[in-house]
Amino acid sequence: MRHLLAIAASLLITTNVWAKPGNVDNGKAVYEQRCVWCHGVDGDGESAATERLNPPPRDFSSAQYKIKTTGFDDIVPNDKDVYRMIAKGMPGTAMPGWDDLLNEQDMWDLVAYLKIFGGMEEEVPSQQVDYGTPIPSSPESIAKGRELFLDDERCSECHGEDGKGDASKGLKDDNGERTWPRNLTKPWTFRGSNDPKDIYSRISVGIPGTQMPSFADPTSKKKLSADERWHIANYVQSLAKATEVVRAKNTVIKADKLAGELPTTVDDPRWQQSEATTFFLVPQLIAKDRFFKPSNDTITVRALYSDSEISLLLEWDDRTHSIPGDEKAEKISDPDIAEDAVAIQLPIHIPEGMEKPYFGMGDAANTVNIWHWRSGSTEKSESLALLNGRGFGEIAQRDPAEIGVEATGQYQKGTWKVLMKRPLATTPIDKDIQFVEGAFIPIAFAAWDGSNSETGSRHTMTTWYWLLLKPATGNKPLITALLMALLIAGILFWWARGATGNKEGS
Amino acid sequence: MKMPRLLQAVLVVVGIYAGFILVFDYLLGQVIPSSLLSMYMFFVIAGVFMVYTYTEESARELVAPIKALVEDPGKKRLRNVVFIIVPLLVAGFTYQRMSPSFEAPVELRSIHPAPPATVKAYGKRFNLATLENPFRQYEKSDPDKFRALVREGGDIYIQNCQYCHGDKLDGRGPYAAGLNPTPLNFQDVGTIAQLQESFLFWRIATGGPGLPKEAAPWISSMPVWQDFLTEDEIWKVILFLYDYTGRRPRSWEHE
Repeated sequence: MRHLLAIAASLLITTNVWAKPGNVDNGKAVYEQRCVWCHGVDGDGESAATERLNPPPRDFSSAQYKIKTTGFDDIVPNDKDVYRMIAKGMPGTAMPGWDDLLNEQDMWDLVAYLKIFGGMEEEVPSQQVDYGTPIPSSPESIAKGRELFLDDERCSECHGEDGKGDASKGLKDDNGERTWPRNLTKPWTFRGSNDPKDIYSRISVGIPGTQMPSFADPTSKKKLSADERWHIANYVQSLAKATEVVRAKNTVIKADKLAGELPTTVDDPRWQQSEATTFFLVPQLIAKDRFFKPSNDTITVRALYSDSEISLLLEWDDRTHSIPGDEKAEKISDPDIAEDAVAIQLPIHIPEGMEKPYFGMGDAANTVNIWHWRSGSTEKSESLALLNGRGFGEIAQRDPAEIGVEATGQYQKGTWKVLMKRPLATTPIDKDIQFVEGAFIPIAFAAWDGSNSETGSRHTMTTWYWLLLKPATGNKPLITALLMALLIAGILFWWARGATGNKEGS
Repeated sequence: MKMPRLLQAVLVVVGIYAGFILVFDYLLGQVIPSSLLSMYMFFVIAGVFMVYTYTEESARELVAPIKALVEDPGKKRLRNVVFIIVPLLVAGFTYQRMSPSFEAPVELRSIHPAPPATVKAYGKRFNLATLENPFRQYEKSDPDKFRALVREGGDIYIQNCQYCHGDKLDGRGPYAAGLNPTPLNFQDVGTIAQLQESFLFWRIATGGPGLPKEAAPWISSMPVWQDFLTEDEIWKVILFLYDYTGRRPRSWEHE
């Protein structure tokens, strides 16, 4: 019996790890229907899409696979590694998962065909990742992982102390393309998922073609045992920011009312009591110049208000502090470094019906306010511009002091925090939004990473969401609820008494 | 044993409610606004009530368990429990309804608005009723040329449209999740398969700002493509959309 099991198990492993017979002809047909658009007819990643994608489409002729589970010095991937990339896609890139459009056999046939581009059709991997004895996640394991992560700057050298990928040194891959250490707090950008087993594979194999090395390599100075790699995998998984994940349902920024003065600094502890809402930032793809290769992908917003003022805290991860004029900042930046920046957009009137200003800087009939903060350079300090927009490029510059709108920002360990505040009411009332308790106010955001060639129309943005100044509820709902309960109870007992009483009487 | 009619009615209502949640929130991935759901459920409950009280006898059967609960002295204990729970439920419901919900206002918009008779683009007027894809004819007359045109359309698509509409044309491109309304899914039978090519030309050439008011042009992320692409390029993209998804454009002739 045991023998049988062993044979069955080894068969299972063999079929899983090595060649599943794929039909190359069908693979080619599927490839030419579905994949050529990005990866090119010759599989070299040269296509109409190449120039506008970051990362660029994979060049299969290079025979290099980044996400694989064969040994670190083995260039050949497992078939199932390639299959998985086709079926599940590469999160954080333009590569979607195909398992909803292609059937299983088509995808295995594709695997067989893709290997031909790299001349790998005959090759079999010689080694597999050694998973040792997996260590499940626990507070102890995570603590050990953190120590190893920081020890001798093993991981933090590139990924940063808090894992936000902000300790860059201007890394390039084997083809000379710019690469960035992953922001480990954003698991939705992990190409191979944030399951500890997948993270373990990345730590063990490294990411071929990039600066991410193998920590299983016995010749490495930073080598780690299998147990240590499990601890780091558990730690990395624990870095995911639970509070700052985009939830499609959360479209309203709810501002709580505070008595007295509002926070004037970004790290005022009262911000932590305020509910955070996170939105996707998408590149500006609508108006000239369209922008295709963003670096920022989400923005988190909190808001508080008092009797007289409103204050918003904008928070987003940015891997670079872009300071024009600063030698170190310019070294890791794209050419022509610019300031980092962020903007809030609001309609100048709270819409009464459904109609809002066009979300791209308003339109001729509906003006928007834009509060545009810039981070400053070695020459000048941070600044705030107040703009009234009536469409792309239809911008009137105004003096922010006129209405008392102010902004201040702070960059720390890969994260920008910018606070903007303004009195609820302004004069004259027809040029700026008048904030009112309880009304749903459209609000949108934009952000610029000055080290990523983001200036002018080249930036990331959100669509319209809502800002709500939460009105105080009072005790009216509670009293009404109690009265309703008494009323219903009264009716029920009256009914029951009447009914049973009748019976007794008859 | 026959199921009590009251239980039947309750199960039907709960089943329909669960069905709405399943279809919208899970299968379609579009969270159904609660105000819309309560409106639907109002009609569902009213309908079920009408069906179950159609004859006097059926009405009596429906309320029999309730009547029994109130009148039957043997059910005293159960009655007392129900008489405590029901007022509490009412109180909880009232409290919830009275407390401000802070839920985003529902915005209903028309997804395929009626096209205008004529459309202005590229500095001229197009009559949408007679406008045809100038390349469609090659599908029969010159298949090789047609394949090449589709190919060109695919390149234009992948360079310009996939960010939102996706590599698979399923409306789930890399940035789709950050847009509201979400990009159209061309694989769906309810989109391009229901439309004429001239309609697509209008929607592409004039983009979001070219929508009529009922379709909420102010929130559409669709660019004004006449600023970026030539007329011929738009027609080629349209060829590609139908070819890749295996759908056929709707045409006047077959109707």
